[in-house]
Amino acid sequence: MALDPKIRINLDRSVVLLVEQNAQAMDALTAMFRGFGVRKQFKATSGAEAMHVVKTQELDLIVADAAMPDMDGYDFIRWLRRDAPDASRFTPVIMLTGHAARSMVEKSRDCGANFVVARPFTPELLLQRVFWVAKDERQMVVAENYVGPDRRFKNMGPPLGVKGRRKDDLSTHVGAATAPNMDQSDIDMLLKPMKAQL
Amino acid sequence: MSEAQFVKVKYRLTEQVATPGGMTAGMASDRAQRELAAHAGDAMKSIGAMIGRLEIMVRDQEVSLDTVYNEASTVLDIAGLFDKRVLCDACYSLCELVDRQRAHNRLDWASIGVHVNALRLLWTRDGQDPDSLKSVVDGLWTITDRLAP
Repeated sequence: MALDPKIRINLDRSVVLLVEQNAQAMDALTAMFRGFGVRKQFKATSGAEAMHVVKTQELDLIVADAAMPDMDGYDFIRWLRRDAPDASRFTPVIMLTGHAARSMVEKSRDCGANFVVARPFTPELLLQRVFWVAKDERQMVVAENYVGPDRRFKNMGPPLGVKGRRKDDLSTHVGAATAPNMDQSDIDMLLKPMKAQL
Repeated sequence: MSEAQFVKVKYRLTEQVATPGGMTAGMASDRAQRELAAHAGDAMKSIGAMIGRLEIMVRDQEVSLDTVYNEASTVLDIAGLFDKRVLCDACYSLCELVDRQRAHNRLDWASIGVHVNALRLLWTRDGQDPDSLKSVVDGLWTITDRLAP
């Protein structure tokens, strides 16, 4: 669904870290975020630089390229979610990818980014993802093999026969009816407004 | 199976985007597009230089598949920020081809060469005759798909 062009968005006070190894691509990303109204941008061209910025600055959003020279973007996000200072651990992340090499597919799925944006994309699409991140209400999952936003956008409950891992997980399996269906008149009575006895 | 913890997080970004001021999403996209357009010329020159390096790699046949993959994916990374869809599709096909060759442990310079020649053509004819350029990309995918993923 496209972002409503009339919706207002204010990124004046947002602090964004851009992680991109290629100078041309970094210039393009910087230009896009300047256009979005972001005034404070930090730039990192390697995983080590990005880690330093995370440790020393308060960030509101991280936009990271998947390909980097020392540690790739996936490893950087993995570090962020597990080993970064507590104040930064759950900073929202948009990951930018080019080609998805076979060896990277699982890493990409498990890295813990809020959204993954595949190239090519337009500024409009990137802005939409920034907006999605701002409206992202998913909880963070901290598990042995995954730390990041809940990958389930809808809580449909655990699969049939599987015990849920959340305290509030209910099975989707309702089972056979134990009582006859209600009459329409009974349902109407339930919905009918009644005078309250005070 | 270990117990997963669920942590409710409130992003500062959520409050920031909703504070009074700012601009409409349409205005922000237009501004970003204008800012980006100022870099398009340099980016296209840079892509041209990278295609040149790929041409040398194909001619000399001395580098590894990893080197070809890295160069091709950099072209894809830059072209992708400028929404150069046809060039990106061709580049994606080259990356996929090289990735499949790596997986099968084989090196076929001829098919890589066809891709690199096509990249040069698409770069030269950027924005012209989209239908015929799309057919070039379709042809590249036919070559790539000869090798199973």
